[in-house]
Amino acid sequence: MYEVFFRKFNEKIALTREEEELIKQYLTPKKLRRKQYLLQEGDVCKYICIVEKGAMKAYVLNESGDERIVGFALEGWTIGDLSSFIKQEPATLNIDALEDCELVLISKAAHDELIRLVPKYETYIRILMTDAYMALQKRTAIMISMSLEEQYKALLEMYPAVVQRVPQHMIASFMGLTPETLSRVRGRITSRK
Amino acid sequence: MPVSIGDGPFVLVVLCNQTSKIMSAKQTIAIIGATGSIGSGIARSLAGGSNRLLLFAKQLDKAETLVGEIKSRNASADVEALECPANAAWEADIIILAVPYGAERELAEKIKAVANQKVVISIANPLNATYNGLVTPPDTSAAETLQQLLPHSKVVKAFNTTFAADFANTVIAGKQVDTFLAGDDENAVATVSGLVKTAGFNPVMAGGLAVSRTLESMALLLISLNIKYNYNWLAGWKVLHQ
Repeated sequence: MYEVFFRKFNEKIALTREEEELIKQYLTPKKLRRKQYLLQEGDVCKYICIVEKGAMKAYVLNESGDERIVGFALEGWTIGDLSSFIKQEPATLNIDALEDCELVLISKAAHDELIRLVPKYETYIRILMTDAYMALQKRTAIMISMSLEEQYKALLEMYPAVVQRVPQHMIASFMGLTPETLSRVRGRITSRK
Repeated sequence: MPVSIGDGPFVLVVLCNQTSKIMSAKQTIAIIGATGSIGSGIARSLAGGSNRLLLFAKQLDKAETLVGEIKSRNASADVEALECPANAAWEADIIILAVPYGAERELAEKIKAVANQKVVISIANPLNATYNGLVTPPDTSAAETLQQLLPHSKVVKAFNTTFAADFANTVIAGKQVDTFLAGDDENAVATVSGLVKTAGFNPVMAGGLAVSRTLESMALLLISLNIKYNYNWLAGWKVLHQ
């Protein structure tokens, strides 16, 4: 139920058995079926969510009501509307399940208590935030500076599992492209090989 | 529009220009013991709200019959029968144990791991076989016993002073029936208060979980009065105040 969560945690910082048991007390196990929401825009993001099994996506709706995907989360990844979670204010994101999921949720109250009780938890969260910020910077730089072909190649290189697992129209949405444009981009890459 | 987006091991998103709220994500409620008189009353009442209900009963066919009945009244009701109480509790955000006090220990063992940090509603009254006393010692209650069995869940006492028939008649003699809540977690009590309102009752926050002792005694008294004065199991508590 918490295997992936603790494996990822221990990859960054080794926990004692006692620390694991203490942290476990504050975790909420949750199953979510495909297409069910974890969070809808306007609600407060109550949880940090770690994917134990399955895949999630985060998106906003544009003026036409179309999804614009802003992120994916596969096994071991963390997803949430960070600003809403920290400030406990309405979320701007929607988050739902791409597949049937098993999740580990950490509520704001549990998160605050874990920070107080377990110094290694605070360190782990800081590492996650730092990694996420670096990924955000990298992605922004890629979007600004690279051609579409290069952007797609970078995505393949950085997150091959996402590209393999997620339907292409969602990859297109993530890149801010129509499925047709992404198809042409992929075609150009293939023809140059 | 988004000003920047990101991906990675933690999806970090920075957006501006908040758009208007569309709708809330449904909360999933597992009702364990859903086909009993109280369990089915709760299921029918909560199916009207924006909740997703997972019904568990020992006999799956009875739970499926209840699902059919609820959907025949409200085609848009999001309700489903499940075969396993642990799976229902795993999917749930809120767990309602609508089982007799004597069955709670065994069920708590089954759902303990998946009920971690979740709101668990205790509706049981620990009545003796002749309905004239409680089997719990005076310094505890069924709700507090359940909290000990589920130490990392948020147990809230609710619906224990309402009869099954009250769910279809939340106004008796012109007065909206009160439903008393007791719990130690403020957010959990607020969540259950929302369910009480959805069911049509007036929520009254009575205090911490230890107040369950009083609430369970109030249920005992109401049952005794019902038998003595033949209220036909349609009666409830109401605090009158200015």
